[in-house]
Amino acid sequence: MDLVDSYVRAVAKALPEEQREDISREISEDIRSEMEERQRDLGRELTPREQEAMLKQRGNPLVLAARYRQDQRSLTIGRELIGPVLFPFYVKVLSFNLGLTLVVIGGIFLALHAGGEKLSFSQMFSTSLLQILIQLGIVTLIFSLVQRHLGKHPDHWHLKRIGGGLALDLKTHEDIKARIKRQMQGWGPEISRFESISIIVASAVAIAWITGVQSYPFLILGPAATFLKLAPIWYSVYFPILLLTVAEIVRAVINLARPDWIPFRMVYRIALNAGGLAVAYTLLRAGTWVMPLGSNANPPAGYLHTVGIINQVFYWAVVFAVILSAGMLTFRIVEFAQKWRWHKQPRPEAGAAKEIA
Amino acid sequence: MSPGTENHELFENLRLELRRGSLVLAVLAALRKEQYGYTLRKTLGELGMAIDEGTLYPLLRRLESQGLLVSEWREEEKRNKRFYRLSAEGKAILKQLLAEWQSISTSLNGML
Repeated sequence: MDLVDSYVRAVAKALPEEQREDISREISEDIRSEMEERQRDLGRELTPREQEAMLKQRGNPLVLAARYRQDQRSLTIGRELIGPVLFPFYVKVLSFNLGLTLVVIGGIFLALHAGGEKLSFSQMFSTSLLQILIQLGIVTLIFSLVQRHLGKHPDHWHLKRIGGGLALDLKTHEDIKARIKRQMQGWGPEISRFESISIIVASAVAIAWITGVQSYPFLILGPAATFLKLAPIWYSVYFPILLLTVAEIVRAVINLARPDWIPFRMVYRIALNAGGLAVAYTLLRAGTWVMPLGSNANPPAGYLHTVGIINQVFYWAVVFAVILSAGMLTFRIVEFAQKWRWHKQPRPEAGAAKEIA
Repeated sequence: MSPGTENHELFENLRLELRRGSLVLAVLAALRKEQYGYTLRKTLGELGMAIDEGTLYPLLRRLESQGLLVSEWREEEKRNKRFYRLSAEGKAILKQLLAEWQSISTSLNGML
């Protein structure tokens, strides 16, 4: 996929579906006509860097796509928090989050009801409302930060080399020269602040969930929590899992302050992946992940059969987690080794390297 | 923000507003002769009505949906291009708009 295709694809993703193909074709045609003319004038092919500069001039694909949309709604409270460019994505993410929240809350209430817990309407209403308001607040805050960034730095974006998507460079003080230099050195682009913030938020939610599971097993077992309990192995791996999640938050906070510490993230992630693999392997070796609730020494056969099926499901889930962790760890080690070797090789003069690039 | 910068921004906004109003007329007038997007953009630029592609193409779509333009995809120089031209309704509207433009121009010239 060439740069033009990547750009057009990034625009297309944000276009109304019914017009997507038609508009994409036209944008692609316009860009290629302009490139051809430039190439005719110069008497040579445009370099990738020149192509990229031309695409940059056309502006952020999200902004371009928004100009084609009829829907120009925005969220304004005193001032515009989320403009027409991001508003459709805001609505989609918010709908998905709120829908998921309601399903999870509904599942928990059902599990509690099945377990004989008596819940009043006001309890259910206030819990649901609180969760909805938290989701609304977080999603709105994230989108308004991205909106602010878009307004302040309309040119801080780049096209992903793989998949042709769009990435926003959420940096407060972009040092393009340093970034290009680092890319040439082989460490890859700086870590976006958006990514770091997302990891902090997601890990914080994960910690809340992990902690909640200790006291409320229905968060992981659902309605089955009325007749099942977690096996002791979960209590043994609770602190290592918690520690790994906190460590990931620490890493994200460090990279939020120092997005240029890319080798640090690579090494740190290898350590975290190794820890994750050790936890997954420990879980796999346990053999039993759920047990019948209560102290009935001779539960009915059908009951034990159900517990056996659930343990089988857990077995395959843990096997999958071990394979995934091992794969990720191998990938990260190989990636780091390659980049490290590349970095350590004697390099030609900077000018010569630029010519090649 | 200094008063100088504020004035410049205000002027820029008013200038853009003024030009935006005349863009429809310029596009309709340029499409009396059939053209595809890129050549239209170039023609407008050469005549002092530079317009970026992010403004031009959505405008062309709007004018087409209003029935003032017709378009068709056709192959030219081994590439498929979308050619635009004025519809019958577009021609009639352009005539009316040009008359209105002349009238505004005459009035303004009288005032200035």
